[in-house]
Amino acid sequence: MIKRLTAALKRAVGLHRPGRSLVILPDDIFLVSFPKSGNTWTRFLLANLTHPEQPATFANIDRLIPDPSATRKRDLDRMPRPRIIKSHECFDPRYPRVIYIVRDPRDVVISQYHYHRKLRKIENDSPLEKFVTRFLAGETCPHGSWGQNVSTWLTTRERDSHFLLLRYEDMVENPSRELAKVVAFLNLSVGSEQIALAVERSSADRMRKLEKDQAELQGLTRGSRKDLSFVRAAASGGWRSELPASLVGRIENAWGPIMQHLGYEVTSQSPSRTGSDESRGILSTSPR
Amino acid sequence: MLGQFKYAIQYVLGLDQAGRNFTVFPDDTFLVSYPKSGNTWVRFLLANLIYPNQAVGFANINRLLPAPGVLSKRFLRKLPRPRILKSHETFDVRFRKVIYLVRDPRDVAVSEYHFDLKKRYIAPDVSLEQFVKLFIAGQTCSYGSWWEHVASWTAARQGNPAFLLVRYEDLLADSIGETSKIAEFLGIQCDQERLRTAVERSSADKMRKLEKQQADQWTGTRNTRKDIPFVRAAKSGGWKETLPRSSAEEIEFAWFPLLNFLGYELQNAHLNNTAIPAWVRSGEPL
Repeated sequence: MIKRLTAALKRAVGLHRPGRSLVILPDDIFLVSFPKSGNTWTRFLLANLTHPEQPATFANIDRLIPDPSATRKRDLDRMPRPRIIKSHECFDPRYPRVIYIVRDPRDVVISQYHYHRKLRKIENDSPLEKFVTRFLAGETCPHGSWGQNVSTWLTTRERDSHFLLLRYEDMVENPSRELAKVVAFLNLSVGSEQIALAVERSSADRMRKLEKDQAELQGLTRGSRKDLSFVRAAASGGWRSELPASLVGRIENAWGPIMQHLGYEVTSQSPSRTGSDESRGILSTSPR
Repeated sequence: MLGQFKYAIQYVLGLDQAGRNFTVFPDDTFLVSYPKSGNTWVRFLLANLIYPNQAVGFANINRLLPAPGVLSKRFLRKLPRPRILKSHETFDVRFRKVIYLVRDPRDVAVSEYHFDLKKRYIAPDVSLEQFVKLFIAGQTCSYGSWWEHVASWTAARQGNPAFLLVRYEDLLADSIGETSKIAEFLGIQCDQERLRTAVERSSADKMRKLEKQQADQWTGTRNTRKDIPFVRAAKSGGWKETLPRSSAEEIEFAWFPLLNFLGYELQNAHLNNTAIPAWVRSGEPL
């Protein structure tokens, strides 16, 4: 009862974290991805792009590009508009503008496996195979499976002019080029120098340094194992050496058509599931 | 400020409306559809099937087959489990077991147009042509567009054994057969007689009579225009007579892949030759 009273009082003065009950404004921009797909890096990039006067850190990122489950309602209400808000949710029809980041699920699963070791959600030596099984079933996080998260967004919004799809792999290859797409999408008046500065301030090296000093100031890393880092490889294609062929096959078997649609090369033979040209065309047909 | 404290007190007592933020249990079943797709009819069918000894009507349907959107969190928490709940939400990963009811969007558009006039959501001089443009853009209700709704659910769940796709049109054509499929999905043991009674008690005629008597006792019809009924035609294919050809074509052109997938015949035959998209067959195990 005391707990409920405290929660209610917090609610009354806006000190609670709204989560799913976030009030969405018509000019809001959502930065959405399945977890472990480069969302935090992109938050840094966008924060450094839109707030050149204060470099993004793990201590201020929840204020600059807020997370409704980590940022207080009062702070969300007081933000300058338009707000850029982080999210891992599956399709939500209320999001007016969306930047969706997608990453090869074969890399995502490895990243999430190490992150869960860091958070002590799984044993240090827990078998990767077991994790892949849970990953495929959407049991490793509350945001659906990778396939559900990606397909619910792509089938509903892919051709919408208020939807920007970015591949993590393209961002790693050429961050300035991809950030320029965001600048165009958001209609920002930002020059190439400012883009270069944002990329530099969001480099994996700088983020690793910040993580060392500020891990306890950020909900994503607070209380977690310090021998494993949050900013890990920050690269693409690690699965080729880390993921056994049988596990690669299981992921490709589950999500082959979506992966091919996104340009992720499918290596194993699974004739029943490979995406035909029709399926690609249809996936990209959407209402608006 | 006063409003905030009133809300805080309701929150402590669990009297705040559940909306999107209620606790979902793993054994819940959801009856989900885009609005105006036969959801209330199926609520009546299921309530009559599950409670054969009760008089099901608009006055008690929110209690018998509850809609979280208009009920308090406390009420929902105290319901006996497993619960069956009504919903119009787009894909929600927390909903493990789902009966998904779908209806030809050309009929949905006509139905929603009349409903929105009844509710005074739109001005009385808005034409059906104007309405269809907003309908396609997803601007006529808060649950996204029809495409977004159906695509989000089928992309995420089609093929999953805990997902039952039911077409409103099939339910009309063979009410007993389709209701029996739903009963089986829910694990309800029932004979032909009980099915027949439930269908009969939920007929459009019975529902029209109940609406006349109880319109002011139900959230869906309270304070709405009484010259437009809630239970309207209760049939399929009505769009062929009422929907301007150009509006029907706009809907077909926007959404033909899903129309084809769901087996809804198109006027515009050259849109007919599209294969079933791969993603609607990729339902994953839970």
